[in-house]
Amino acid sequence: MMRFILNRAFYSLITLWLLVTIVFGFVRFTGDPTTMLEEVGDKAYVAQLREQWGLDRPYYVQYGKYMWGLLRGDFGNSFQKSLAVRDIYFERLPSSLKLGFAAFIISIVLGVPLGILSAMKVQTWWDNFGKVFAILGLSVPNFFIGLMLIVFFGVHLGWLPILGKGDSFWDWQHLIMPAFALGWYFSGNMVRITRSSMLEVMGSDYIKLVRLKGVPEWVVMAKHALKNAMIPIMTLAGLNLVIMVNVAIAIEVVFNWPGVGQLLFDGMSNRDFPMVQGVVLMGGMMIVVLNFAIDILYAYVDPRIRLSR
Amino acid sequence: MTKAMLGIVIALAVLIATPYGAAAGELLSGPLAKLDIKAAVVEKGGVPKGTLTTAQHFGLSPKWLDPQEQIAALTQQHYEYIVHDALIKTMPQGLFTYSLAEHAEILADFTKAAFRLRPGLSFHDGTALTTADVKWCYENYRGVNAKTFKENTERIEVVDDRTLIFHFNKPFLDFMTLYNGDSTGIGWVVPAAYYQKVGPDGFKSHPIGAGPFKFVSQEVGVQMVFEAWDAYWRKTPGVKKLVVKGIGGPGGAATRLAGLKTGELDLAYGFTGKILPQVLNDPDLRWTPNFTAPWVLFFPNWEDSDSPFHDKRVRQAVSLAINREFLIHQETQGLGAPWGNWIGPEFDDILQLPIPEYNPDKARELLAEAGHPNGLQLDALIPFTPYLDMGERILADLAAVGIRGSLQTYDGPQYRGKRSRGRQGYDSKATILKSIAMTPGVAASAIRLFATCTSGASFICDERIEEHWKQYNASTDPEERKELSHAIQRIIIDDFLAIPLYINPFVHAVGPRVLPAGKAPSGEGFHKYWSSPQAPYPYPWEEWQVKE
Repeated sequence: MMRFILNRAFYSLITLWLLVTIVFGFVRFTGDPTTMLEEVGDKAYVAQLREQWGLDRPYYVQYGKYMWGLLRGDFGNSFQKSLAVRDIYFERLPSSLKLGFAAFIISIVLGVPLGILSAMKVQTWWDNFGKVFAILGLSVPNFFIGLMLIVFFGVHLGWLPILGKGDSFWDWQHLIMPAFALGWYFSGNMVRITRSSMLEVMGSDYIKLVRLKGVPEWVVMAKHALKNAMIPIMTLAGLNLVIMVNVAIAIEVVFNWPGVGQLLFDGMSNRDFPMVQGVVLMGGMMIVVLNFAIDILYAYVDPRIRLSR
Repeated sequence: MTKAMLGIVIALAVLIATPYGAAAGELLSGPLAKLDIKAAVVEKGGVPKGTLTTAQHFGLSPKWLDPQEQIAALTQQHYEYIVHDALIKTMPQGLFTYSLAEHAEILADFTKAAFRLRPGLSFHDGTALTTADVKWCYENYRGVNAKTFKENTERIEVVDDRTLIFHFNKPFLDFMTLYNGDSTGIGWVVPAAYYQKVGPDGFKSHPIGAGPFKFVSQEVGVQMVFEAWDAYWRKTPGVKKLVVKGIGGPGGAATRLAGLKTGELDLAYGFTGKILPQVLNDPDLRWTPNFTAPWVLFFPNWEDSDSPFHDKRVRQAVSLAINREFLIHQETQGLGAPWGNWIGPEFDDILQLPIPEYNPDKARELLAEAGHPNGLQLDALIPFTPYLDMGERILADLAAVGIRGSLQTYDGPQYRGKRSRGRQGYDSKATILKSIAMTPGVAASAIRLFATCTSGASFICDERIEEHWKQYNASTDPEERKELSHAIQRIIIDDFLAIPLYINPFVHAVGPRVLPAGKAPSGEGFHKYWSSPQAPYPYPWEEWQVKE
């Protein structure tokens, strides 16, 4: 088992290194951010910024300096906001986690039961409803849902505040609409994966055997089918959670929610290389760590996995 | 708010009226140049009340709180007028208005400038604001135009805590224009000791200044909170708390509008395009057109003989083809202001020119005369991002006279990156670029940037303009400079080197809590907040009042 863990850890580190390197290269393909400032005609000022931001040095020097900074936990200073990317990111992270977890719960609460119901009642009204719900969830942009919620519950009814996260961490009123708008898309996703996973499990021989033994249908579903169908569902849910935390850009913009997604948007809009690199790296790191944890969990519950690798 | 006004109307207007080349002043010996600096209006005794919540149309940056690293954008002034103060700055009284300084002089040969500060000035932390702070800010400034100041300045003489003299090593005609809070950050005074103690990053995280509001907190990029500083020398702010939120990006305008409607916002910027009618038609919202600068069409690389726009008749045909009245109606609900120059009207040296004619028949004739009887094919029309719809409308007008083409759109950074390289940013010789020339100070600033051969951002390189520009730079006579600036503006318009469309309204709206109370369209009193010349935002902030 230890050998397996070390092996997976090594691959995780390689993945992270590749991610860092690719993002470092890609942001520089978008062009030099100081060219946007040349318009003021003050060449000395632009040259000073290039030097300050390290853009006057060869790429390999910039890369080496960046990697050395990362090893020390330093993501660099934001070009646009001037402060340390790490400090800004971790200031925003609690808000993103709050929104991400709330949306995650909504996506699970809406998506999983509806997916189960669709699978249990295939080709019925319930199944059709589940399919339509999933298609709407996946096809209607979440910013549109957000704006509709704002117009209806915020402007017309005046029930809920629309801007920001409120003064307290436990302020739920500010959370409802952005969490629902964000969770909506992922609930459609969850309906589809739950339905297909359940249908696959329900068609397996051991479920037929359980039914032949006369076990009540709800026990078949809850104890035998759902338990086994949950592996792909939880894998997807975990990845969804990371995405909801890190790239809820449209929702954060529409609701003025102070999360890390807005940092990424601002970074991209202004060619703020350190900010884009920092946010993508942290998101990537969460995905890699999550996958690493899932791999270990799989290996723990299923010995075939650790023996085959 | 108390109406008691101490009425400190300093007799500087009289001093300013002193003829050019008059006798020595209070601070400098030798003939003085004429300065048009308005007196500050000082009011005392008010009590700050309520919270004013505003929304910027993009994410916020802590950088804007540090004038020492002034960026090349008008946005930073929004924040400097909240936290900081300058020796002279733009106020409703005039483009140049006394603020921390109560008196200024500049020698007629522009080699020395002197200021005397008001008595008893201090920063938010209670430390005294003296000429030592002013000197330190000048010497350590590293923002836009820093090199210009360093190259022109020989030394700074601190006469006493309130008086200092700048000694220049050559005539520095643009000193006052650049030192004014509008164009650079060097004139905004920060506490030198505190800045050195906490460093640039520490200062951006928690700035201290001498402005009407004290910094309280910020969620980086999203929100900044300020509270009234009762001891502000000019006027006790009208609101107790000022909150600025950054609500930009896709959907941001709709969110800002919703925020105004729900009362979570009191003031929001940047309503254009499809969202604009909803602002104009809401009886609870009041708005101001907030005219910025004219939209303008440039022809990158028109100087090359193989460019279709090398021929003046083709450029003129483009101008004649555009139905500006319809464009204004479609794009701005009729708010846009027709204007005949390519630089905005608020400059002292601006030339008022007739509104360009709309005459598609004449445009077709000119195209035929220029050898394009069947029209011509554009490589692209590049609209200003994000005003992409407007590009389509212009293309439709051009197509009606036979100038055919398609839009080439870029995202914001790409557009700005290319435009900042001027004609070198575009390979094509049959491209039209839609832009806007927003540069503070004087019209000559826009000429230097967009219409001189040596500027990296230039779209116009013309021998006649170069000759005038050379004379402009050599002259120390403000009147002669003004005439030369006029001559250049006339060449550009008469030769259709830049095609003005209309002055863009960048509509700002306020909610019902903003005082004076009133509903649109009768509640017009709130327009007073937009009375500072050339100001894209409604400062000074100490003037604002809201219902509690």
